Amino acid sequence: MTVSADAPRQRPDGSGDAPLGQGVWLRLVVWARASGLFRIWRRSLQFRTVFMTVLLSGAAVLLTTMAMSHSIAGDLFRSRLDQVLGESAQATRYAQQVLDGTDAAGASSIAATVGNQLRPALIRATPSSNNLNALLRTPGQGVAGVLQDQRSPRLPLDTITPELRAQVAAGQAAQYWQSVTLRWADGTDSPGIVVGTLLQIPVAGQYELYIVFDLADEAATLRFIQQALLVGGLALVVLIGVVTWVIVRLVVRPIRTTADTSQRLAAGELEVRLPQHGEDEIAALWRSFNEMADSLQSQINRLATLSSVQQRFVADVSHELRTPLTTIRLAGEVLYNRRDTFDAITTRSIELLNTQVQRFEELLGDLLEISRHDAGAVTLEIEPVRVAELVGSLVEDAKALAAERGSEIEFIAEGGHGMAEIDPRRIRRVVRNLIDNAIEHGEGRPITVSVDSDEATVAVSVRDRGVGIEPANLERVFERFWRADPARQRTLGGTGLGLAISQEDTALHGGWLQVWSEPGAGTNFRLTLPRKHGATVRSSPLPLQPPATEGDAQ
Amino acid sequence: MSAKILVVDDDAALAEMIGIVLRDEGFEPAFCADGDGAVAAFQSTKPDVVLLDLMLPGMNGIAVCRAIREFSGAPIIMLTAKGDTQDVVDGLEAGADDYVVKPFNPKELVARIRARLRPDPDEHGSVIQLLDLRIDVAAHEVKRGEERISLTPLEFDLLRVLAATPARVFSREQLLEEVWGYHYKADTRLVNVHVQRLRAKVEEDPDNPKYVVTVRGVGYRAGGA
Repeated sequence: MTVSADAPRQRPDGSGDAPLGQGVWLRLVVWARASGLFRIWRRSLQFRTVFMTVLLSGAAVLLTTMAMSHSIAGDLFRSRLDQVLGESAQATRYAQQVLDGTDAAGASSIAATVGNQLRPALIRATPSSNNLNALLRTPGQGVAGVLQDQRSPRLPLDTITPELRAQVAAGQAAQYWQSVTLRWADGTDSPGIVVGTLLQIPVAGQYELYIVFDLADEAATLRFIQQALLVGGLALVVLIGVVTWVIVRLVVRPIRTTADTSQRLAAGELEVRLPQHGEDEIAALWRSFNEMADSLQSQINRLATLSSVQQRFVADVSHELRTPLTTIRLAGEVLYNRRDTFDAITTRSIELLNTQVQRFEELLGDLLEISRHDAGAVTLEIEPVRVAELVGSLVEDAKALAAERGSEIEFIAEGGHGMAEIDPRRIRRVVRNLIDNAIEHGEGRPITVSVDSDEATVAVSVRDRGVGIEPANLERVFERFWRADPARQRTLGGTGLGLAISQEDTALHGGWLQVWSEPGAGTNFRLTLPRKHGATVRSSPLPLQPPATEGDAQ
Repeated sequence: MSAKILVVDDDAALAEMIGIVLRDEGFEPAFCADGDGAVAAFQSTKPDVVLLDLMLPGMNGIAVCRAIREFSGAPIIMLTAKGDTQDVVDGLEAGADDYVVKPFNPKELVARIRARLRPDPDEHGSVIQLLDLRIDVAAHEVKRGEERISLTPLEFDLLRVLAATPARVFSREQLLEEVWGYHYKADTRLVNVHVQRLRAKVEEDPDNPKYVVTVRGVGYRAGGA
């Protein structure tokens, strides 16, 4: 049997479209990136789910459609083939009967028989062939010219291939068939089947009878079915996509709501809650979320109340203490001014009273200040200030005290002459505190106060060459009431809150207060402030670790 | 004749102690223990300086300050337990001239009082002209044309100091020294608030001052120079 494609002809796709495919893919990627599709892909679970569902169900539908189309095509072809082969066999039988029954003996009468009886019989026997047939003489027989080859005029010339003819002529089977493409004179074409059989024609010899069947109707039916399948498939995929979108949305929306609400909760909106209705899993999630938020809120509120009560208490105590302290202080001063009129014991007592009242007062002031910082109740009074000038006047003020302790204060202002937006009262207090500390711990050695600035920042460093601080204690210097050496005698007083307050004031300015220290070499405090209020410090114009100088040798 | 000082404070012990200190310094103290009676006490005693506690039963110190300023420019010094807070600014804006923070020492208190009582350094009647303002130093009077502008003594001093050397730019610290008599303490809020109060009275458009001009980053100077 001749090779034949089961299905009606299938055109191979155009060759050489691999590079074209790549180009398309590349363009698709570029487009997807430009349109933010990748971003949506990454960020939207809904989009991803719908996309994957549509893709997979699309592939499934495509495969199903192809398989169905394939098997329908096969069925259509086979049933037509059966019909065709039946008709053809019957036609051959008729034809042979007609030929066998003829008494024609001459060439002309044979021709007449073929023309008048055979061909109408053929046409009657093959109603579905549409009168397309050919009667061709098998080549290679001795006598020729008795009967001309006959063919239907409409039959395209190349329909009957030499391979088929060779097989038919060999005559090993009763029938041979081949799928062909019928190229009509008007330029259209349609699939067809050619069935070939052998006829023995008296006088004329062996002829091959080819009956051609047009499969245009079957092809049309198939096309229609394929279109229906395609449309149905597409509709199915779209439907699946929509259904998925709706279902995923049902699930994703609560997730999104939950995510948004947690975010707001995290941002400090403690009163946000999720709606509570229904009994499904989402409702359970939301219920427990709300319970968590309730508990969180009550905890935070409790802590906040506790903390504010405590801060208020400290502030109130400080305030309440101030009035009696003022009275004590005034009384103490009156006594102190008359101390030479008392005896020695009373005089000393009055002196002690006086200094300790002062110390008490400082402590109270610092306590009040730190409680104000804790309560977040401190606001800066920003004005443009020349920091070098401010520090210079503080150094002048401190010189007398430093001289008492044997220290000299060196003041180097390389920069800081331009304006910086700071709260001068607070910065003055910070720097005074640093200078007082340096005098206190400077062991009578020189103290260096430097000021420098760059475009964005201004820095002050206060360096002493005293005992320094052990590395382990270095980070504790800003702790409240921390003392480097509890046993050490305190001569200059100080409340133990100075550096803690300085740290808070610096932080309010958006600046840095840092310390470098080395036992035996001394300590360097560096204050760095942004020159524009509201900016933050990124670098400092002064080094934290002081460059080695001769004074450090000891 | 000794200066009369009205002490408005609800704490009896502190008031008495302040009285002792004032008498010791040669002042003549008068007392009032609550805010509601403060204005009446002011009117009956006609003090040279008022020491006013901000936290008072009844009418609070700021309200008292405002009430006194309705009819008198007499120097008012606030006594406050909260040196840094808004209270100070509120008090200054209500018309107080100065403040001391509890706990204060007697020297500080007396220095504040004396600064407010200080006689004008330049009593013999010069007249300063600042644009269209006529500042009569002897008469303590400021006139624009025939219109008399009423200033408290402190506001008058502030304007006089600035107008006396119109070309000079005064830093806030310099003004604190010249007008308030401070030597170390530098609370520039005093200057800022009083410049605003002064402007509100003398300027035609306080947002666009022409008599008291800000020199950014330095301080203030008289306009028209």
